[in-house]
Amino acid sequence: MPTTARVAIMIALALCLSGVESAWARVKLITLPVRERVAVHMEHADVTLVEEERLVPLTPGGNTVDFSWSNTGIDPESIVLRIIEGSGSEGVEVLSVSYPPNENALIWRVHAKKGGTARVRIAYTLAGLTGQADYRAVASPDEKHLLLTEYLDVTNRARESFDNAVAHYAPGRSQRLDLGRSETKRIRVAAYRQVPVSKIYTADLAEYGYQDRPRKRLKVPMHYRFKNSQDQGLGSYPLRPGKMRIFQDDGKGSQAFLGEDRAPFTPLGNDVELYLGVARDVVVTRIIEKNTPKRLDGNLFDHDVVIRYEIENFKNQPVTLLIAEDVRRIRDEVRGNNRRDVEWEIGPETSLPGDPDQEKGSYRKVVYSIDLAGRSAAVKVAKRIYRLHLRFKNEWR
Amino acid sequence: MIALKGQPGWGTTLRSAFALGILLLAGGATAHAAEIRGNVDLSTVPDRDGVELTIYNSEDITLVREKRTVSFGKGVNPLQFSWANTRIDPTSVALRFLESGRDLALEETVYPHDKPQKLYWKVRSRRDVTAQVEISYFTSGIRWKADYVVISDPDERVMRLENYVRIDNHSGETYEHARTRLVVGTINLVQKIAELANISRDRVDHLPQKRKEEYRQRAIRKAMAPPEMMAMAEGMMTGASMDDALERPKEISKEGLSEYFIYTIEGTETIPDGWSKRLLSFRADAVPMQVRYRYWPGEYGNRLARLYLFRNDGASGLGTTPLPNGAVRVFQDDGMGGLRMLASGNITYVPIGDQRTLDLGVDPEVGFERRKVRVWRDEFWLRVKGGSLLRRLGSPKHRVDLKHTVAGWDRHEQFVRRIRNDSNRAIQVEIRRPTQGDVVFKSGLEAKKHDYRTVAFTAQVAAGEKRDLPYELITRMGRNAKRNAVTVEAIK
Repeated sequence: MPTTARVAIMIALALCLSGVESAWARVKLITLPVRERVAVHMEHADVTLVEEERLVPLTPGGNTVDFSWSNTGIDPESIVLRIIEGSGSEGVEVLSVSYPPNENALIWRVHAKKGGTARVRIAYTLAGLTGQADYRAVASPDEKHLLLTEYLDVTNRARESFDNAVAHYAPGRSQRLDLGRSETKRIRVAAYRQVPVSKIYTADLAEYGYQDRPRKRLKVPMHYRFKNSQDQGLGSYPLRPGKMRIFQDDGKGSQAFLGEDRAPFTPLGNDVELYLGVARDVVVTRIIEKNTPKRLDGNLFDHDVVIRYEIENFKNQPVTLLIAEDVRRIRDEVRGNNRRDVEWEIGPETSLPGDPDQEKGSYRKVVYSIDLAGRSAAVKVAKRIYRLHLRFKNEWR
Repeated sequence: MIALKGQPGWGTTLRSAFALGILLLAGGATAHAAEIRGNVDLSTVPDRDGVELTIYNSEDITLVREKRTVSFGKGVNPLQFSWANTRIDPTSVALRFLESGRDLALEETVYPHDKPQKLYWKVRSRRDVTAQVEISYFTSGIRWKADYVVISDPDERVMRLENYVRIDNHSGETYEHARTRLVVGTINLVQKIAELANISRDRVDHLPQKRKEEYRQRAIRKAMAPPEMMAMAEGMMTGASMDDALERPKEISKEGLSEYFIYTIEGTETIPDGWSKRLLSFRADAVPMQVRYRYWPGEYGNRLARLYLFRNDGASGLGTTPLPNGAVRVFQDDGMGGLRMLASGNITYVPIGDQRTLDLGVDPEVGFERRKVRVWRDEFWLRVKGGSLLRRLGSPKHRVDLKHTVAGWDRHEQFVRRIRNDSNRAIQVEIRRPTQGDVVFKSGLEAKKHDYRTVAFTAQVAAGEKRDLPYELITRMGRNAKRNAVTVEAIK
């Protein structure tokens, strides 16, 4: 850091001849210890912590160390001064900190048993200096794999430059960089090749609604899904939240932009789902085919509902379709909302393949997975019919 | 500015905001106080010999006691005390003679109507004498607060805890070389407010806020100057110059006084008006600590909070004083000499021997899901034809009838608390599950009742482990409910 008046953050050693009271005087002769090392900690979601190390020359007895800043977002309450153990630091103690009025400054009174140079670290939180994760995902032509590149976007609006700083952007992960004032930098920090990915189509009326309400056609969004684990080609770290731009390699040396989504914080072993938009070539029509109450006694009923799905896959490739239903919402629709949780079971008329997905389902949500064959050029697309039979139990009003 | 004005030759004019002066009066020493001040004054200003501040952090009020040496002539001596541009409570200013008390008597105190922030004392002296006087008063604008810096070691087994006191002076006056005492604790003034308002204690909370605050301020002033407290402070106002020569971390001694603790800063301090000063109160280098993850909705909200636990006791290198309220900033040593910011927040008063938690918020490396898996109902009781007769659904005597109505049932809910530990160390998780109504908590967990309606259970989750904690709640509804409490039932 240059020792000129233009610096935004300055640590100064005042040469004091008259003891403590010289701290109150704001006109003084000072020396300016330079930064030896800077670490920027961006691991915390809301706060950036800067820690800088300086060598401070101290005279025997009392010393006044003045730390001041201008036009920077330092939180004065956050400033911590630590004397680092080692040569020159023995017998050095911080006596007090004073805060002059109407100044962005504080004054440490430091006592040294002997003259010499003490190594100190000053930590403070700083607004305007942020690090964000950013990703670029390129799907292979067959959409079976991703090339996932992870970037660190650092924006420095803190009005202070940091040379050769170590940026800790996630637990256990750091990057050395120079940060000029008002600079934004994008640094590639990792690239993961051949990450297995699957493309999922979802029909969920409660969550995504209709594509064509009069014709009972559901909106069918598409997602890429991949797992954050080493055996899937990814790293050893949780994926940080960040924007993910998604492209597809067209197999001819070019890439098509598919869209962008925000990846959430994803721990190891968890799935990432990236929204790609709404499918036009997978059509799902949903019709409530049966709505039949059955009295058990008095005002106590069971209630059967059968939902019919007509599904057409106009794509050449086979796809995986998730069919999801909010059971409580269906009960409220057919019986009214009695403010009780819904008790339900799968009825015998169900023709959806396999069992409901327990992991994705819940007490009020049922999820099935269906593999649909692709369209053959020679064959007309077949409309496949499935039924979901829900039995609401022990209902009364 | 405070001024004490005295006779010529006593000293030079103070640059402080305060002044105390003895006036030489053209009108003679027997003049009425209101007439004390002529159009032409000659006065001198005795310096402060010492000053003591007792600062209450729970109220914006500070007791100031200052000593000055004044020469009195035989007869009546007018003294002027003024405090322009400061925040002194004029009704609180008092004068006491520390020496020659038999020769000196305060005859009159006058607050001139045309001169705000000024008063006159008329002191009668039997002989020519030089005596030390004490002037005490309350001022606002001086506050102190505690704050803490906590740095855990990389393994999160011990932490360094530093406690600081910071004094902010916005009183309008610079108190040079002041002996400074800080009072820890909140003054409970309900009884005194009740006495002043002439009402019973239980009606104090019903007083209008403005009146309550007026009574409260009066009560504070009464409470803050008891004779025993004044006596305790005796002898504490010592020479300043020697204290200021101390160039080592100052001791801040702590002593209990009734329900309060008083921190006395060693030596003296000068905190100019507008300035703040922060001093280390104490430091413990290796406080044993534990890391816990708690889902306690009542205490920490609807989240799994990561906590540091420590105890204010001797084993921790603490335990000699309660820990006052204050801001806390928590860091972790990153193992390479650097710090990681973990959290900032506030710590509430910690009595000696008590345990406290530092809430670090949600740990992104530890996932917590609350899943409701299934709901069903059974044990139906039906009211027969609107009467008082109840029949259990499915019992031998039960007959189906259109006029039966559901009167009671049991609701079963299956839950799973799922914990995913992506950190590189095992974690201890503590969960509290509040319930409502007549509830049975069934599980294979080691669960126990925390209170009549809350169940507590714990789990150890290894590094990298995903662990499900399943349980079932059976809630007796309608006529089935017999009480409002939870029962814990273990299942294998």
